[in-house]
Parts: sequence; C-alpha cells; structure tokens
Amino acid sequence: MAEQTHILLVEPEPMLRRTVVMTARSMGMSQVHEAADNAAALRMMHARKYHGAVVAVGCVGNGAERRYDLGLIDLLRAGAKPGQAMPIAIMADQASAELLAELRDRQISRVILKPFRAKVLLETIEKFGELARKP
Amino acid sequence: MQVAATPDNESARLAALYELLILDTPPEERVDKIAAFAAAEFDVPIATITLVDTERQWFKARVGTEVQQTGRDVSFCSHAILAPQIMVIPDALSDPRFADNPLVTGAPFIRFYAGAPLTLPSGLRLGTLCLIDRRPRTLDALELGILGTLRDLVVLELVQQEERADG
Repeated sequence: MAEQTHILLVEPEPMLRRTVVMTARSMGMSQVHEAADNAAALRMMHARKYHGAVVAVGCVGNGAERRYDLGLIDLLRAGAKPGQAMPIAIMADQASAELLAELRDRQISRVILKPFRAKVLLETIEKFGELARKP
Repeated sequence: MQVAATPDNESARLAALYELLILDTPPEERVDKIAAFAAAEFDVPIATITLVDTERQWFKARVGTEVQQTGRDVSFCSHAILAPQIMVIPDALSDPRFADNPLVTGAPFIRFYAGAPLTLPSGLRLGTLCLIDRRPRTLDALELGILGTLRDLVVLELVQQEERADG
C-alpha cells in the first residue's frame, strides 16, 4: 500500500477550504491539513512533514509599499535540503511581474489566480501527491 | 415528457421533510452560500437547493432564478431523488424523459442538469443540490466529487438544524 501523502492548505475562506478537504478525503487523494491563517499554518508546520503546500497569500502594507506577504513561503522553504524542497503553489488575487520574480526565487511550482476554484486546488493537490509518490 | 415515479418510501420521505419545518421559510445565509459557491465553482447560471414536496418542488436556496417553486410533474429533481447517485443529464434535448419538458422547451431552457440527492442519515432523499446550464455539458469524476461534497454540506446544515430544534 502506498504511503499516505500530506498536503498543507492555507486558505482563509471556510467554504473553499472545507470543500477541498472533504473532497480530497472522499476521493482518496492526499490527506489535506487545513489552516485558516499563517499562524495556524506555522503551528502545523512543526507538527509533521508535508509533501506539498497550497498557500493563499494576502497583501501587507499600503500604497507604494503594498506587497504580497511571502513570509510563510520563506519559512516553508527554510531548512529544506538542496533538491528536496517540497512543491508549493500559491493563490493570489493577481500576478504582477514583481510577484512572479519573487516567486521564481522561491521555486514556486504553480500560481493560482482568482477566481479560486476547488477543482483547481484539488488538481494541484493530486499532482503534488503524485510527485511525492514517485520513486 | 416522463413524469418521475413516486418513491416507494414517499410517506416516510414527506414526513421527514415536514419534520424539518423548512418548507416556505425565508432564505438563510447558511445554505444560500452553498448554492452560491456551487454556481461559481461549476460556472453555471442556475444552482438551487430543491426540496420535493407532494405536488411541487420548492427552492430553499436559489441562484440565477426568481422562481420559488414549480410543479413536481415537470421537476428534474423528482427523478434525481429516485436513486442515491448524482443524476447527470448532459443534454436534456437528447433525453426522451426531458426533451419536451416545459422547463427545457421554455424558460429557463434547461439543457444540462446535475442533481445530487439530499440523503438524510435515515436514507430518505428529500431533494437535491442541483446545477443547471443552458448549454450541454457534463461533469468529470473530480467535479462529481466536489458536487457530492457540497451536497454533504447541505445535508449537514439540514440535520444540524433538526438537532438544534430537538435540543
């Protein structure tokens, strides 16, 4: 029997989060661990190893200083051994050239833009699970 | 047009429906949000939470339609509650049960229908969470899984309401 894979989902919207978690469970996909915010995600990061993460990123700052908060992504990347970084997808309202450049530096596997659909998140989770199960 | 058969457990089904005290109640955010989510997720113009009463189908939640109820004789959901699985009609015009249904030949001009039966823990099916489109389409396995999950969330709301009332 294949080892169960574990994916971290950080998403503030409860209906989307619950739909993804319950559907993944009913379809026998990876086990999805849900966090409503970065603080909950940080606690969960220390509890177990994950094979991938899908993270909604919000903006911080105002005016010209406004930018996406990628702090959690940096923490997820910190400590990963070279070549063993888990795949990460981010969910963002829109993709600016600046954001894409920042994401390239952080080896982001996929950018999911609004409108966020459960199906797209589940397809991403399924793909991350398959990657983890590859020998 | 084929009128749906009456379920074998119709008396018990209707008793369970009436026990919920939900028919003809005002809209509620707790279920409206599930219908809205379903409409957006599947990109359909109409999504409803439908309860099948003796002679009518009544919409507890509705997106994309102003109609509050229709006759049970023209109801797609009356067919959907006859089996536990999600019923998918990819193109109503190609289905002899529905091709001349007035909801297909006239407003809202249904072509695609998917109805996930609202099954209580007792096994009684009270209605459906349903998706309607005006163009033919179908659902893949993942989409069926998502619709099933949203249906489960509706049932959870119905059952929890009953438990709150009992408590």
